[in-house]
Amino acid sequence: MTLTGLSSTPAVSPRSELVISAKGVSKRFDNHQAISDVSLDIERGRVFGLLGPNGAGKTTTVRLLNHVLTPDSGEIWLFGERLTAATADEVRSRIGVQTDTNIYESLTARENLHFWAELYGVPKQRRRARVDELLEIMELTDRASSLAGTFSKGMRQKLGVARAVVHRPELLFLDEPTTGLDPEASLKLIDFLRGMIATDHTTMVMCTHQLDGLETLCTDVGVLIDGRMAASGPMESLVSERWPGHWVTLELANSSLANLESAHRVLADQFPEANASITDAAALLVSMPQAEMTERLVATLVHHEFAIRALVPVQRSIRDVYFDVIGSARGGAV
Amino acid sequence: MNAQRVWTVAHKDLIEVLRNRQALFPLIVIPLGLAVVIPASLMDFITSPDTSDFAGALMAFMTQMPAGVAPTHLNPDQLLVYSFAVFFMAPLFLLIPSMSATVIGSSSFVGEKERRTIEGLLYTPITNRELVLGKILASLIPSIVVTWTAFVCYALLVNHYANPVVGEVFFPTASWVVLMLVMVPLIAFLTVALIVAVSGRATSSQAAQGTSFIVVMPVILLTVGQSAGLLLFDTKVTWVASGIMVFINVLVFLAVARIFNRERILTKLR
Repeated sequence: MTLTGLSSTPAVSPRSELVISAKGVSKRFDNHQAISDVSLDIERGRVFGLLGPNGAGKTTTVRLLNHVLTPDSGEIWLFGERLTAATADEVRSRIGVQTDTNIYESLTARENLHFWAELYGVPKQRRRARVDELLEIMELTDRASSLAGTFSKGMRQKLGVARAVVHRPELLFLDEPTTGLDPEASLKLIDFLRGMIATDHTTMVMCTHQLDGLETLCTDVGVLIDGRMAASGPMESLVSERWPGHWVTLELANSSLANLESAHRVLADQFPEANASITDAAALLVSMPQAEMTERLVATLVHHEFAIRALVPVQRSIRDVYFDVIGSARGGAV
Repeated sequence: MNAQRVWTVAHKDLIEVLRNRQALFPLIVIPLGLAVVIPASLMDFITSPDTSDFAGALMAFMTQMPAGVAPTHLNPDQLLVYSFAVFFMAPLFLLIPSMSATVIGSSSFVGEKERRTIEGLLYTPITNRELVLGKILASLIPSIVVTWTAFVCYALLVNHYANPVVGEVFFPTASWVVLMLVMVPLIAFLTVALIVAVSGRATSSQAAQGTSFIVVMPVILLTVGQSAGLLLFDTKVTWVASGIMVFINVLVFLAVARIFNRERILTKLR
């Protein structure tokens, strides 16, 4: 664990391409250890999905990374600069945060966005255009002059995201950004966020339970359990560590158990380097060291007169990683 | 300190106050009572023929006044009305900004916490000093506006009731003008700063109002008592007192900003 306040710490991190670098961060509230020895690195333009069950410490982590909470130990670097009370306010001007906190209900949608734009120092000559642009993107133009207190949950959510991005932040924290949105609005929001990454190289940290939909956005994942980072890293690394090789699902025309077991024996005999199992859905799940083996595997089964109905490559998702990590942490209980 | 961000917070809070009828009501009623209803009733009474007891008390006060404070060319009846208008009502006026500020200021932070808007604000680049000053201004500006408005109403009232008796336009005096333009904002600032500090540490709006009253009342009584007495002196004394108040206000503001704690607001105020 690294301690804070080391006078020999350099003013600028040597790995300044990292937007976020946290080392051994811990935080305790009274008799509750909220965060324990959490470390993570996030590079520019990456989208980090911060996952975890309720109470795992996601919100506390976001608060620590914004220095609205001070870590008991460990150190945090943002944009290559050590995060301290002296640097936090300046660093925050480069960050946008959308949390589940409320918007100002007695202000209109436009006033809410102007308020945020002014706080973040968006120049006056660009402010109106930016606010109008975001109202248009979030489909709130018609309600721009309505008090936010009259908005539906979905509209509040869109306004919350809009205010977080009004100053085009380099780093964006999002907390369940699609909650309350209908499927169409969710897709539009994800497209908008994807556009921010493509055009502005925005780095994002996304706290979510919404494991479907947002996974296409996440390049990196961290899973917090009881305040500890149980797993973190790029999605492809996390997947390849857990499910090495190439995975396919084979569906046979004859899906009887006897036929599946027969095919399983053929594969075990002919491809000892591959692993096959029969799934609950009456199919064969096969893992192999290289994707190139697939053709030979199919040819062998056909040669043994098995009629193949479908061959589907298995795409491991953020959901699979999440449940695998949770399951491992709880001794396979999930 | 970024003045733009300070004003942005103050402006936002002012809009919220103006759109909140429950907050506006006491802002109108308090000055109306202190600056119009009470003085009008008393002046009506004092300018009527049967005021012997009250007039006796006023005369006793006037005999204690330093020489040269009141005009020497007035007869006793005129002096009675003059003294009442000029010296007796000042404490009530100095209460207006403090009481008005309590209405708005006590909910400045804890109100945002209750409405679950404070966390978003804490994530912004605004510094503690900017945030605290913005919150102070949001309470200070309406307090001063209502006090000055009440002062104009009071001046009209004095001239309506007292001019015919005194026989000349004598109000506002130079001391009153300095008191209103300089001392009122300074007293209001001190009060608001303390109330905002209480609001930053209270757990609910009701608790903030109750604690504000206890914390602020001794300060109000002390400053109001002393400031009202300034009317008995030359305006130079008022300027000196104002300088001292400016110094105290700066110290209090810096202390309030220093004890403002984002972590406490997020984790302790539920």
